[in-house]
Amino acid sequence: MENILTVLLFFPLLAGLLGFAVHKDSIRTYGIAVASIEFLLSLWLWISFDMTHAGFQFIENIPLISDFGISYYVGVDGISLFIIIMATLMTLIGIIALNIEKDIKNLIITLLFLEVAMIGVFVSLDAILFYLFWEFSLVPMLYIIGAWGGERRLYAAIKFFLYTFAGSLIMLIGMLYMAYAYHSISGSWSFAITDWYALLLPLEVEKWLFWAFFLGFAIKVPMFPFHTWLPYAHGQAPTVGSVILAAVLLKMGTYGFVRFSLPMFPDASVMYITPVAILAIIMIIYTAMVAYAQEDMKQTIAYSSVSHMGVIIIGTFAMNAEGITGSIFLMLSHGIVSGALFLLVGSIYDRRHTKLMSEFGGLASVMPKYAVIYGIMLMASVGLPLTIGFVGEYLALAGFYKISPVMTLLAGTSIILGAVYMLNLYKRTFFGPVTNDANLKLEDLDGKEMAALVPLVLIVIWLGVYPKPVLVPIDNTVKALTSFMHEKAQTKEAKATILVSKTNREKK
Amino acid sequence: MENLLYIALFSPLVGSLFAALFAMSPKNIITGIVTSALLLISFIASAILFEHVMTVGAVHVTMMDWIMAGDMLIPFGFLVDQISVTMMVVVTLVSTVVHIYSIGYMDHDKSFNRFFSYLSAFVFSMMVLVMSDNFLGLFIGWEGVGVCSWLLIGFWYHKEDVSRDVNPSISPSWAANEAFIMNRIADLGMLIGIFILYWNTGSLQYDVVFAALPNLSDGILVAAAIALFVGAMGKSAQFPLHTWLTDAMEGPTPVSALIHAATMVTAGVFLIIRANPLYAMEAVEWVSYFIASLGTFVAIFAASMALVCRDLKRIIAFSTLSQLGYMFAAAGLGAYWIALFHLAAHAFFKALLFLGAGNVMHAMNDELDIFKMGGLKKVMRWTYLYMGLASLALSGIGIAGVGLAGYFSKDAIIETAFNEQNYILWIILIVTAGMTAFYSFRQVFLTFHGSKRYADTEIHPHDMYKYVLIAMSPLAILAVIAGFFKGWFEEFVTVLLPAYKMSEETHHIAWILGLVVIAFAVGGIVLAYIKYNKGLKRNEELENSLVYRLLSNQYYIPQLYDKIFSKPYAAFSRFSWLTLDQKIVDATVDGIGNMIKTGGDNTRKIQTGNLSDYLRWMARGVVLLVIVAFISHQLSQGAN
Repeated sequence: MENILTVLLFFPLLAGLLGFAVHKDSIRTYGIAVASIEFLLSLWLWISFDMTHAGFQFIENIPLISDFGISYYVGVDGISLFIIIMATLMTLIGIIALNIEKDIKNLIITLLFLEVAMIGVFVSLDAILFYLFWEFSLVPMLYIIGAWGGERRLYAAIKFFLYTFAGSLIMLIGMLYMAYAYHSISGSWSFAITDWYALLLPLEVEKWLFWAFFLGFAIKVPMFPFHTWLPYAHGQAPTVGSVILAAVLLKMGTYGFVRFSLPMFPDASVMYITPVAILAIIMIIYTAMVAYAQEDMKQTIAYSSVSHMGVIIIGTFAMNAEGITGSIFLMLSHGIVSGALFLLVGSIYDRRHTKLMSEFGGLASVMPKYAVIYGIMLMASVGLPLTIGFVGEYLALAGFYKISPVMTLLAGTSIILGAVYMLNLYKRTFFGPVTNDANLKLEDLDGKEMAALVPLVLIVIWLGVYPKPVLVPIDNTVKALTSFMHEKAQTKEAKATILVSKTNREKK
Repeated sequence: MENLLYIALFSPLVGSLFAALFAMSPKNIITGIVTSALLLISFIASAILFEHVMTVGAVHVTMMDWIMAGDMLIPFGFLVDQISVTMMVVVTLVSTVVHIYSIGYMDHDKSFNRFFSYLSAFVFSMMVLVMSDNFLGLFIGWEGVGVCSWLLIGFWYHKEDVSRDVNPSISPSWAANEAFIMNRIADLGMLIGIFILYWNTGSLQYDVVFAALPNLSDGILVAAAIALFVGAMGKSAQFPLHTWLTDAMEGPTPVSALIHAATMVTAGVFLIIRANPLYAMEAVEWVSYFIASLGTFVAIFAASMALVCRDLKRIIAFSTLSQLGYMFAAAGLGAYWIALFHLAAHAFFKALLFLGAGNVMHAMNDELDIFKMGGLKKVMRWTYLYMGLASLALSGIGIAGVGLAGYFSKDAIIETAFNEQNYILWIILIVTAGMTAFYSFRQVFLTFHGSKRYADTEIHPHDMYKYVLIAMSPLAILAVIAGFFKGWFEEFVTVLLPAYKMSEETHHIAWILGLVVIAFAVGGIVLAYIKYNKGLKRNEELENSLVYRLLSNQYYIPQLYDKIFSKPYAAFSRFSWLTLDQKIVDATVDGIGNMIKTGGDNTRKIQTGNLSDYLRWMARGVVLLVIVAFISHQLSQGAN
């Protein structure tokens, strides 16, 4: 099917609009059905994806405003394919696990619109289209936090919106300048990302553009010191909001680095490895420490999420296929694992209406199933081999070792500090005697929660033991990316730093 | 042979998953029997593989791809050669015994099934660790055993945290976390070592890496050797990462026997033996020498703490630490096969010792203080015999080529130090041998001889179930006879490992050297006999002396770590959160937001609705624009 991406993109939109006509008692089933179909569509995308082909596939290109070179231009490659599948999966899981009665109809419709925005971001190959979806994704999330959030939901929602919006405006200026630069060099207008790839910019311009894009992506990731919107957003968002935010929305930032920064500005990317890596390392260590200090379970996971995003950045700037493939895989594994952890926190919050660790203790004996699944996700989060968390973290760090052993050592403290805050959380919540009577009669996970969590557990183990089906397509695309960057790089340093995989050359 | 390899490797996993099915249901004896039977199968397969390796040669299989990215290709590959097959036999043998033992020991535990699931999972991880044919495969096992150790130390997770004075380990869950985190620190070193090897040799397969070593620069070799050794230090609890091992005694005793004595903690030694081509390189000679020195230091350091310890299990844990030190000393001095031999011999008698201690605890209602025991030999004959034998083996008793396991393995290490003309290490190791004998028999005498100091309590000790005692017998037999296989073992493993031989002179005076060691060992036992055989006479003055308190508080190292690492980390974390993150970073963000808001509020006053006001503002604006235009014109003129 040639138009599969369009179907994938507009199906939830149509379904969302039709959702207004559905009765509120059946909206839940409706939502699950739509999200399931969407998920199956994305799996179909995977099946029909040509694994041996590194470039974009399922391309559709319809000019919208041809005078300015703006078009409906979509396609996927190995990098975006799996993020799309993860987005549809996590939306489905989020809807299955939904435990909100208030305005559930609006919530489900909002989630479907959010799904459109997320998929839109990852399939767009036109910068304007990309930007539209990028900004559009803020609105449903603003609404989710603002309408279904906790006590300080308005503050959190507005902060989230304004902060990320400010970042994206700077990115927009970068995009407009990029189009202008394209026009002044080639004589015609184009917002097609693939056209921009081919453009050889003067180094001076490349540097400025790198930072303009960087700011937009960095706030989204969020990189230190732009991360403070995140704890509020997570703190106030309902469970489903946090799941989608951590699993998918944050990945838009890191995806941006891979999709825009690396291929468009290879020289600047190499030039600024050190400052970016230093920010990433601060982010890894500092937020891991802040995570350790938290009293609220959800905040620990929120900060841990930031800390892990630091490793993703490190891998992205490794400038070799090992690191970049690792960092994309880590985006997926982080999505699955942090999504699951937020669901788990949500389960206990639904029961006790508190997330403070001091309220718990000894849960392992009261809720054994919950403890087991939490334990598995904890181990995946600290990067235990044979869980999904290890593969990406290992590759990202291994890749960056080529750039700087010392900085890798510092970034690698992630595996120690991650264990410190996660084990501390687990000990305080699950171990020890049950001291609080309120916890004595807690129900273990119910069918709905198991239905949401067990698939994630299976994925965590499956992709930890056998990541090949996912790694190979990613790696193919990344190898093409690194060799493209190597070709395009103008400075000697960049050429020397960007490694072209040998196994890639042999295939050619 | 491939099938046998898979049987040996995966039977424990099958057992673990089987037991896991029952993890949340009440005790089911079947889980114990099935897991034990599967381990027996694994042991038999390993034994057949041993025979195969001896007669035919190594078996090497690649099961499937694991990680592939860039030029990195890491398969699940398994190699059964002289080194790994020795480990496999030792691991599966001890595991089988410990599993059967646990059926009795965990009899009344409500989490019986869960225990067997964890224990078998551990064996599987350990098998992955020893059988992998590449460094990352080893790392899978390495982390796997770490998690199982975490689960098993914290097995009785429901216990509460108490202060260090009441229980030096604080609580099982605390000890479990400590072990995991300390090991993680070391694992980072190991990961860095793996990165170094990958980027310099292009592979992580042992054979490829070792073949490429001669082409590497000295600096890289040294860095890789140090980084891998840091990893080994964590798992094998070498100073300064040693505190977790004694705290790990919070786990059930079969766990201490299997994981924290016989198998997992020797993984670090195994790594050094496995990577012997690296550590034997001339460029890393000083690293190897450092390993030997640190090992020797740990040997005496741990033994010194065991001298005054009152806790049955902690004494054995210190002794394990000390013996690990011996193994590192041998490996560091280049006598890899001797290190491996001591590793195997130690596994047998130390597991036996721990299981014996388990019997004592079982009899004494989990009492651990040997000052509160005594006179148990009449009611626990078999346990007395086992622990006595194990202690004799540990002390290295024997003469003129006839003796228990430790006599052959430990003496060989001490002889190696002499042979290397490293007399300082030699003397320390000899003194340690004396201390070892003393603390081992101090424990035996205080537990089994003298008066019944528990008489005024409700405890009525009895020996363990028959089948458990029978199950322990293979270890007892091996603790006695393992030494006689030394020559044969040497021939077997030196096909792969460097054939370390004593020089002519050493060989010549070997009997004198042996006598010196025996003199120290017997001296230790005699001293213990004099002091403790009749019972316990406490010496207040001695117990209050500085040295005694220093030793019984483990040189105050746990307290020190608390003061200089844990507490400041927690305090700085809080500072980062409350001050840095909220008062500086976030306050800046909010400040910018507020600035814009106030700016907006203030400029709103311009909107007065009065036409002449607007005209005035317009005039000002025009003037401003003219000025800007003029200046920019001038500037661009100047630029041209």
